[in-house]
Amino acid sequence: MTTPVLQVSDLHVTYHAHSGAVPAVRGVDIEISRGETLGLAGESGCGKSTLAMALLRLVPPTTQITGSILLAGKDILTMKPGELRAVRWVQASVVFQGAQHVLNPVRSIGRQIDEATETHGRTRAGGVAELLELVGLGARRANDYPHELSGGQKQRALIAMALACDPMLIIADEPTTALDVMIQAQILQLLDEIKRERGLSMLFITHDLSVLSQIADRVAIMYAGRVIEVGAGKDLLRDSKHPYSKALAASFPIIGENTSRRHPQGLAGDPPSPIDLPSGCPFHPRCAVAVDQCRSIDIELRSVGNATNRRVACVHFGVRDG
Amino acid sequence: MRESGSTTVRAMTWARRRRAFSRVWRELRHDRPGFIGLLLLSGFGLFALSAPLIADRSSLLAASGRNNPDLAAPSSKFLLGTDEIGRDVLAQLVWGSRVSLFIGLLATVVAVVIGSLVGLAAGYAKGKISAVLLAIDDFFLVVPFLPLAIVLAVILGRSPTTLAIVIGFTSWAGSARLIRAQVLTLSERAYVERARALGAGSWHVIVRHVLPGVAPLIIANATLIVPTAILTESTLSFLGFGDRLSPSWGKLLDGAQSSGSITINAWWYFLPPGLCIIGIVLAFTLLGRALERIFDPRLKGR
Amino acid sequence: MSRRYLLKKVIGALLTLSGVVVFNFFLFRIIDRDPLAKYRGRSKLTLEQRETMIRRMGLEGSKWDQFVVYVKSVFRLDFGRSFDSTQPVLGEITARLPATLFLVGVSTLLTICIGLYIGTKAGWRRGSRFDRTSTSAAMVLYSTPEFFFGMLLLAFVAGRTGWFPTGGLRSVGANYGFVGNLLDRIHHLVLPVLTLTLGYLGSYALIMRTSMIETLGEDYLVTARAKGLRDSEVMSRHAVPNALLPSVSLIAISCGFVIGGAITTETVFSYPGLGLATANAIRNNDLPMLQALFLFASAAVILFNLVADFVYALLDPRVRRAE
Repeated sequence: MTTPVLQVSDLHVTYHAHSGAVPAVRGVDIEISRGETLGLAGESGCGKSTLAMALLRLVPPTTQITGSILLAGKDILTMKPGELRAVRWVQASVVFQGAQHVLNPVRSIGRQIDEATETHGRTRAGGVAELLELVGLGARRANDYPHELSGGQKQRALIAMALACDPMLIIADEPTTALDVMIQAQILQLLDEIKRERGLSMLFITHDLSVLSQIADRVAIMYAGRVIEVGAGKDLLRDSKHPYSKALAASFPIIGENTSRRHPQGLAGDPPSPIDLPSGCPFHPRCAVAVDQCRSIDIELRSVGNATNRRVACVHFGVRDG
Repeated sequence: MRESGSTTVRAMTWARRRRAFSRVWRELRHDRPGFIGLLLLSGFGLFALSAPLIADRSSLLAASGRNNPDLAAPSSKFLLGTDEIGRDVLAQLVWGSRVSLFIGLLATVVAVVIGSLVGLAAGYAKGKISAVLLAIDDFFLVVPFLPLAIVLAVILGRSPTTLAIVIGFTSWAGSARLIRAQVLTLSERAYVERARALGAGSWHVIVRHVLPGVAPLIIANATLIVPTAILTESTLSFLGFGDRLSPSWGKLLDGAQSSGSITINAWWYFLPPGLCIIGIVLAFTLLGRALERIFDPRLKGR
Repeated sequence: MSRRYLLKKVIGALLTLSGVVVFNFFLFRIIDRDPLAKYRGRSKLTLEQRETMIRRMGLEGSKWDQFVVYVKSVFRLDFGRSFDSTQPVLGEITARLPATLFLVGVSTLLTICIGLYIGTKAGWRRGSRFDRTSTSAAMVLYSTPEFFFGMLLLAFVAGRTGWFPTGGLRSVGANYGFVGNLLDRIHHLVLPVLTLTLGYLGSYALIMRTSMIETLGEDYLVTARAKGLRDSEVMSRHAVPNALLPSVSLIAISCGFVIGGAITTETVFSYPGLGLATANAIRNNDLPMLQALFLFASAAVILFNLVADFVYALLDPRVRRAE
């Protein structure tokens, strides 16, 4: 077997704020192989975006990251600043959420894309024009400034920017959030095409499970800084095991499946604050099927007997050791 | 019944104010620059209060220096030496602190009153009135305020009180703008809209609902106007305004400059008032910035 | 640049300027009921001379008549004669203008460059030793009246070392040839420029530091870092161009203070520019001179604000390319 494109083991990310340490990611293992797309889903505040930013060490400098992040076999966490800069965007790039201020308002789109290739000495034959055409924006858009683009166009520009240095992994951080449904579908399709044509691996982060059925080969669900269920994409979405995944899946319709309807009852309560996690399984206060044991023991991810590759962190599922 | 009801409301209001005050005090104690500013300010306050203990007011009179040596270096008799007509510099310095503080504070009151009125009106009123007030505000923001203050002081007179009013009149534009912006945000808040919907008059809404909301901002802003007012006062005094017989610190510097104390390096004459100005301006600025940080959490970490 | 923006700003500046002209009349003819009362030699005037003066100052007839006369004379740049020197005010001003322009120009340039540099570095490395030191220093500079700097420099630099002249524009009665005279002028300019620069360095540095800190949390800085840019590139290409925007407006507003600074600085160093002329006019109650100086100062500030609006538009495509 070849080395995976990305292999994250026992990753902990802890912010240091005025009020004290904030453990945003608490022991996550994920793996993405070549050409594979892993969907990472969860409510806001579950640590998925922190995880994404930690992959290229884009978290604030006071943040503590432990574990290992192997990108093409090399550990990001032990790299010197120069090595890290050389890896950024060349091996893995990020498609940020265009609705936020991720584009510099006073630099033209073209210059911001060019900047990436220039920094890494990877001038492209077709230049910025080719990239912009590829994502369906006219080459002329290079001279435009972010405020002159619509939300969907900005998202396309961000995709073009992410492709500038031909990375092998794309980290897509909520790329369809805040777009209307039509544009959302277009962007998803664009990402899917590009990924297939170029054999790219992708980590697709979203709070919206319905988009994952379209694009993800495998899906991981995060809750309170941990992955609580992981498995093959459609399989997991159709038949979630963990009570949290179930509730999450129930609140989104799966596109193209008539049987799946928006579930009338949402999830009660709010996700826990990372500085004040409940004992045992962090989901137990919101869980309908919690038992006494859930209050004291936090179950690790473990295989579920009958489903292939499915791993769940719940007392009700999986093999009970001893 | 109604009366007891309003008493409880009042008691609650006071309890809330007390809590707010103690919160500000707690945060101020932990804000190092702000606390330094407060200490420095208390020091200057004590200095100004102790004036009669340090020197008799009569030592400011021109006649008081008649028998003293002119521009004498510090000695046990004159701790900070004498000026060009033999008056005690320390006496002028300690009495001058009252003049400087008086002008600075009075000017601030004038500026804050005009600024708040214009700001509240421009923020609360709509349409033409607001536009006219804004245009006036813009005008006063652009017109260079020191030349304007100079012109006004030449025309209106050179006494300390006139100076204070002139300074206040030329430095309200910034606060008006600030307060207007705050009023605009506040008027969109639910409780103000509710009050308006319940038929409360404009005056009632402003006094009861909008003013308490902008009060912290006005306090912080006022604390930051004092230092500029004191700086302006010293500049104007240095340029010849003010009263030579009851000199502010700026006026002392004017005396030091025109008496040639610099050429003969009579440092005891020009150094103390200059350092006092720096100290008091620094004190108010540190305190004002700290209050801004406390009242407006968005500014944390500046 | 969008033509409408330009036009709007120019018209705005002209409106403000005419506002100043009207305001000036209001100050000197309405608030001040009897301008001639400030004329020191008035007791010695004969009745005829007095009437000539009233006519020359445009004090005849109703306030409206006076206003018309005043506006006409402003358009002719005729500001009457100085009470003090009895020479035409315009000539007095134009003769002194270059010296002040030079002093204010050089020190403003220095203040902006150094202040923005220090503010940028301090804000970018917030909480660092450089930040703590420079911010404390900037606070002290900000709290110091600029003329006190001048006095300190005179007493402890010029006085003690004798390296610099204590005042004036050039060495009186000396001729060192073209280059020599130029150097002599620069020699005289060092301390005044230093005074004015120190006086306003603090506030510029603080303004820029605040803008920088506000920019630090922006998402596009994360984008730039993700692309593999060096820290210095992230700062210079992405943080600074954005942090400059609010600074430009604030600096434009603070230039009114610099004019005040020029008045006291020129006084301390007996530097014969418009500032010293203002100080003399104050001491002599020279109303015609003050009136014109106030107009000139206001016009200068309005012009500077207009320039700042253009600079802003050049820096911000959202303004430049707005339709």
